Amino acid sequence: MPNNKGTLEIRSLSKSFIVDNNSLQILNDINLTVHSGAFVTIVGSSGCGKTTLLRIMLGLENHYTGEALIDGKQIIGPGSDRGIVFQDHRLLPWLTVGENVAFGLDKLKRKEKKLLVDEHLKLVGLNGFESAYPSQLSGGMAQRVAIARALASKPEILLLDEPLGALDALTRMYMQQELERLWLLEKITMIMVTHDIDEAIYLSDKVVIMSSRPGVIKKIIDVPLSRPRNRASSDFTRIKAEILEEFHLGTEYPFAYAI
Amino acid sequence: MKRLAISKKTKAILGGIAFPIVLTGLWQLFIFAGFSSARFLPPPFKVFQKFVILFSDPAYSQHIAVSLQRVMIGFFIGTLAGFLFGLLMGLSKTAEKIFAPFFHAVRQVPMIGWIPLIIMWFGMNELPRVLIISVAAFYPITLNTFSGVRNVPREYLELASVYGFKGLTLIKKIIIPAALPSIATGISLGLAMSWSVLMVAEIFIQTAFGVGTQIQKGRDRFDIALVIAGIITVGVLGYAMTVLVQKIVQAVERGRVISTEK
Ligand SMILES: Nc1ncnc2c1ncn2[C@@H]1O[C@H](COP(=O)(O)OP(=O)(O)OP(=O)(O)O)[C@@H](O)[C@H]1O
Ligand SMILES: [Mg+2]
Repeated sequence: MPNNKGTLEIRSLSKSFIVDNNSLQILNDINLTVHSGAFVTIVGSSGCGKTTLLRIMLGLENHYTGEALIDGKQIIGPGSDRGIVFQDHRLLPWLTVGENVAFGLDKLKRKEKKLLVDEHLKLVGLNGFESAYPSQLSGGMAQRVAIARALASKPEILLLDEPLGALDALTRMYMQQELERLWLLEKITMIMVTHDIDEAIYLSDKVVIMSSRPGVIKKIIDVPLSRPRNRASSDFTRIKAEILEEFHLGTEYPFAYAI
Repeated sequence: MKRLAISKKTKAILGGIAFPIVLTGLWQLFIFAGFSSARFLPPPFKVFQKFVILFSDPAYSQHIAVSLQRVMIGFFIGTLAGFLFGLLMGLSKTAEKIFAPFFHAVRQVPMIGWIPLIIMWFGMNELPRVLIISVAAFYPITLNTFSGVRNVPREYLELASVYGFKGLTLIKKIIIPAALPSIATGISLGLAMSWSVLMVAEIFIQTAFGVGTQIQKGRDRFDIALVIAGIITVGVLGYAMTVLVQKIVQAVERGRVISTEK
């Protein structure tokens, strides 16, 4: 590993929500280690607890049993070591695109801020949009701004909750390449939720497959392919078949993932 | 394009004055038909004449200026106090528990109910007049600031906590901007309230200057034309202020005013 910061460990973690006075178990006995600098994706049917798991890693959910550790230390609340791209883009409507990207950069000088904003908007292909307002953007553009905002504050671990969900197929593939390039460049840990199995295989070292009610990790599949990956290679399709196989077994919706 | 925009605006203005013109016409017909004696309802022309007389006398502009100033001072104080109080109750559940029941009880007392007490305490002075106007603005601004602060989306608060914003930074960067549309609604309601209690303040707490004083004078002399002229003045000025505030509110909502970085 190039640097040792940003290792995330989840140990026997279970989480319940109280709904109408009943305790509803959402996550059950989750065990997961994400090494520093790894790219891990999480796939699983809607409602199986992927967002909840990311929120625990982020420190927004604090009531659970088991452990959530970063570099061996218990996660207590959010911190600048972790960044997030929320499932909803969560841009602030009263700020311009540029100001949204600069949102976490309060401590920097104006000039440094501007530099970082420009750099990251360029990265997501939105240079020239800094003075637009979020309401003037398409859904995909808004998600790209959210990615720029998360990256601009230089986290060690970047959590991404379906960040490319609102993009068209071509922009999506372009953004996948860009994410991979960024990940290689910045050497940060990335943990990403996606519904797109091709995307998961293209990007990650490990694909975590979850199943629902309660959310458990069903299987973790290694993707030992060299990069950049060829989506049409036989190894790629073999791994895809292996993942799809998991969804045929034991889910209520066997065809939900046969995209 | 530009010509189209102007003609649209002209259309809106024409639409807005059409009804008052029709009303004036009916009023004239009413008099022609002999339903009313000129003593109780002077013809529109008489009222118009009264306007000409009033506005050719610089004293009337001074009455208007005094009223506007009175409203502005009262409204400003009420806005500031309402904003701070609403913010406090919005931020702190404890503050809400302590103050809200009292606030809602006091709010039930109509402005005019306070007049005797206020006169006994402060006399017929400028202070109680301004006080009444500011209290009238205070209620809606407090309520709307409170609900704006309470209803800041949880998502935005989470975002702030991800970036470690707390205390004043949180208030400045998330809570106030998110609550601003609601606060702006409170401010325009507050202005309307201030303007409408201006008459209460000027008629019940007697004074030499103000539009309300003129209306009162008209009543004392049984000069209905003067009373009507005064009422129209109050209505038109109030409407002009409302439109002005709406324009400011719209600008704020477009995010322009607050998003200018320092
Ligand atoms: N605050 C909460 N209170 C009660 N139940 C909740 C809460 N948050 C999430 N849940 C429940 O937990 C389950 C998992 O939600 P979560 O958002 O983690 O799913 P997800 O895997 O991200 O789904 P999707 O793919 O649709 O985004 C859902 O059944 C949801 O209803
Ligand atoms: Mg989710």
